Amino acid sequence: MSDATPMPASAWRRRFLTPIARQRTAMVGLAILAVYVVGALLAPWIASHDPTAQDLMAALQGPSAQHWLGTDSFGQDLYSRLLYGARLALVIGFASVALGLVVGVAIGLAAGLIGGRTEWLLMRITDGLLAFPELILAMAFMAVLGLGTENLVYALALSFVGPFARMTRSDVLQVKSQPYIEAARLMGVPTAAVIWRHVLPNVVSPILVQGGMRVSIAILLESGLSFLGIGVVPPTPDWGLMIAEGRAFITMAPWISGVPGLALAILLVALNLVGDGLRDAFDPSTQRE
Amino acid sequence: MLGSAAAKLGQTLLVLLIVSVASFAFLKLAPGDPVSIMLGSDFSQGAYDQLVHDLGLDRPMAVQYWHWLAAFVKGDWGTSYITSQDIFELAVMQALPVTLTLAALSLLVALVIGIPAGVLAALHRNSWVDVAATALAIGGNAFPSFYLGIILIWVFGVGLGWFPTLGFVAPWEDFWQGLWHLVLPAITLGAWYVGLIARITRSSLLEVLGQPYIQAARARGEPGWRVVWVHGMRNVLMPLVTVIGLQLGGMLRGAVMTEVVFALPGLGMMVTTAVLNREYIVVQAGIMLTGLLFVVVNLAVDQTYQFLDPRLRRRT
Amino acid sequence: MQTATIQTAAPLLEVSDFSLHRGAAAVLDRVGLTLRPGETLGLIGESGAGKSTLAMAVIGLLREPEVGLSGSLRFHGEELTGLAEARYRKLRGNRIGLIFQDATAALNPCYTVGAQIAEPLRRHLGLSKWDARERAVELMTSVGIPEPRLRLNAYPHELSGGMQQRVMIAIALACNPELLLADEPTSALDVTIQAQIMELILERVRALNSSAIFVLHDLALGAQVCDRIAVMYAGQIVEEGPSAEVLARPLHPYTRGLKSCVVELGSEDLQPIPGQVPPLNAMPEGCRFAPRCPKAQDVCRRERPAPETRDGRQVACWFID
Repeated sequence: MSDATPMPASAWRRRFLTPIARQRTAMVGLAILAVYVVGALLAPWIASHDPTAQDLMAALQGPSAQHWLGTDSFGQDLYSRLLYGARLALVIGFASVALGLVVGVAIGLAAGLIGGRTEWLLMRITDGLLAFPELILAMAFMAVLGLGTENLVYALALSFVGPFARMTRSDVLQVKSQPYIEAARLMGVPTAAVIWRHVLPNVVSPILVQGGMRVSIAILLESGLSFLGIGVVPPTPDWGLMIAEGRAFITMAPWISGVPGLALAILLVALNLVGDGLRDAFDPSTQRE
Repeated sequence: MLGSAAAKLGQTLLVLLIVSVASFAFLKLAPGDPVSIMLGSDFSQGAYDQLVHDLGLDRPMAVQYWHWLAAFVKGDWGTSYITSQDIFELAVMQALPVTLTLAALSLLVALVIGIPAGVLAALHRNSWVDVAATALAIGGNAFPSFYLGIILIWVFGVGLGWFPTLGFVAPWEDFWQGLWHLVLPAITLGAWYVGLIARITRSSLLEVLGQPYIQAARARGEPGWRVVWVHGMRNVLMPLVTVIGLQLGGMLRGAVMTEVVFALPGLGMMVTTAVLNREYIVVQAGIMLTGLLFVVVNLAVDQTYQFLDPRLRRRT
Repeated sequence: MQTATIQTAAPLLEVSDFSLHRGAAAVLDRVGLTLRPGETLGLIGESGAGKSTLAMAVIGLLREPEVGLSGSLRFHGEELTGLAEARYRKLRGNRIGLIFQDATAALNPCYTVGAQIAEPLRRHLGLSKWDARERAVELMTSVGIPEPRLRLNAYPHELSGGMQQRVMIAIALACNPELLLADEPTSALDVTIQAQIMELILERVRALNSSAIFVLHDLALGAQVCDRIAVMYAGQIVEEGPSAEVLARPLHPYTRGLKSCVVELGSEDLQPIPGQVPPLNAMPEGCRFAPRCPKAQDVCRRERPAPETRDGRQVACWFID
């Protein structure tokens, strides 16, 4: 792990692709995820209806040739909402984790590299973020920021900052104590270059693994908050909202909550499989039998 | 020894301080002006300024924080604008016991199912039992609790009519009725933990069974069940408790969803309703309380850990 | 030594033509041994020779279907290889005791040493909790643990390595076993207390009039503490006989090699054996030692030499001088 020069393609394959490919269940998860991604990307073309077009005459219909997966109580087409919902879930999930990761890594790097009072203050903020469960944190941020898709991304991202910051800092402290960092400094390499060339490459893989494993939590929180009514607002095609809407009609029209519910469950299983695979491939210490 | 205990105490106090500052900051950041809400729609500037002064809102933040904290510690958490209920009463006396009962029952469900599943999977490694237990673990861990709750209500509540679908009866008032109402919620929330517990039990037990002291127990003529359940599982308890403690956030996440699905008047329900009603003072109470709960449970896990692992125990 | 009586008594343990397979590899290959009551035997060889495996097989911790067994293991004339597990359990820790190499790892960290000593007492002798405690105190005294009543409630990590091994000995001898297996009982200990512990085990074995098999890698130590020694190489017993004779006049080239590895003050003939033990999946067809043997001929590489009895010793070599 000590080489910091940009890796050639073959090294990438050896370090990242082969270990993942060796995990059979992770490949299954990846395949399922790919189906969701394709569905989300192609939503505008393969959807049969406008996901927010209401047709009260066609409300609460079961699956038919017209509406492949049935309709909800507003007569919105569930198949189309499912596709657009996948889009929303994936975008919010990945965007919030990415944002949280970037902010968290920045805080962790700053704390680990600057030290002193800055470090103390940054780590106390991190402690504060880590002192609450993610959902409560996200709910609090939503209360402050207000409802809506964009705010949901910010709220989730903020609730993920803590773990990334703490992880990065401890990784940085560990790397910083390595003799080759000291050597680079002594040789007069500027600090920024040391960070870029030597510190970041060493902390990047555990953090990416952590990020990969968080995406499923982000999607679960996203749909959960929307289910509670503290996330995106209707009529946005969101699985959490759809499940909440279908809840009242569970005996008459179980498909309304069933379609998004199962889609969400399968996606979360797939993401968990991928996450476990990532962890097993890159973190031998937590490897399971 | 005394030094480490003091350091631990200091650390806990620091986290508590941060939790309180964060909760205080939340109310300051929350949108809306509490003064105008309290005054209603029609008021004069003089009355407004008077109330601001009476509430101490014109004083420095640090002073305001100090007054808020003092009131908080005294149990003076304010009154709900909407229900005029005392918030301490609402949060601590009413909501907290509901959430704790639900969490405890769910954990019980998860342990009762998860541990045997994990042990079976470890003992019959790579057999169909193992595959089934692993599938159960992954599925249970990933299935969103709010949708699982809806399915359970549909099948066992509405369809089969075996269990009540909504509402809460306090088990300390009517034990059986209360338990009855909590069966489906406990399964809903427990399902998530089952997977976790089964997985950690399986992998830890496999590791422990490879240790020489297990061979030594067999060499003493101990029967297989005692080797696994006494000598093996005793050593699995430590990683198990760690994981249960570490995943408390997930537990609380599930509890909020479960409470809302089954209309249980717990902390999750309280915070959710308060956010929807923009009643930030109640949200704040919920934030502070979950923060405290987190600190307390982490301390408890720490203590349990020392109790379970003799190597961490202080010498007497 | 009461050699005369030992020779005539019925054998306590009879191992004949015993093989143990892991997959296709023969970890033990047609091993034969006889141990009489009161006798001590040293199993000598390099690591990987199968000494510990043999001990584990005798106490029944390596059984089918985990490994493949053939041949026979008889304890008091009773066949052990196919013995019902419930019956075998009554032997383990009761009539056959086992001392592990590393007591630190072999004691359960979560239970007090008193509880672990009391376990076989309660299980096999049916002692009450109170009686087992009292007996545990006696046992701890007998293995030289000071203040046994205080130590009873100690956890393994609170004791030194030497004390842990003494506890291990107390457990193995708790039920006065007729056969004690000691798997390198001192190799994990500080050099300074190795002799003490060895002496203790021997003293207890004699006091209980038990038989013992010591698994060791040191030929000289084996010859010093045991009545007889059996030298193992790559899963086979190559030479077996009374200690003094084997050490004084080794017949098998491997034994001779082992002996010359023992550094004696003033001696100049320190000659390490060239090469290394072949891997289990690539064992030579004939004599397993042939590739490293200075005297190897064609016949050695072709055919496995059968153990031959000479002067009360068993040697498996085509060219015994």
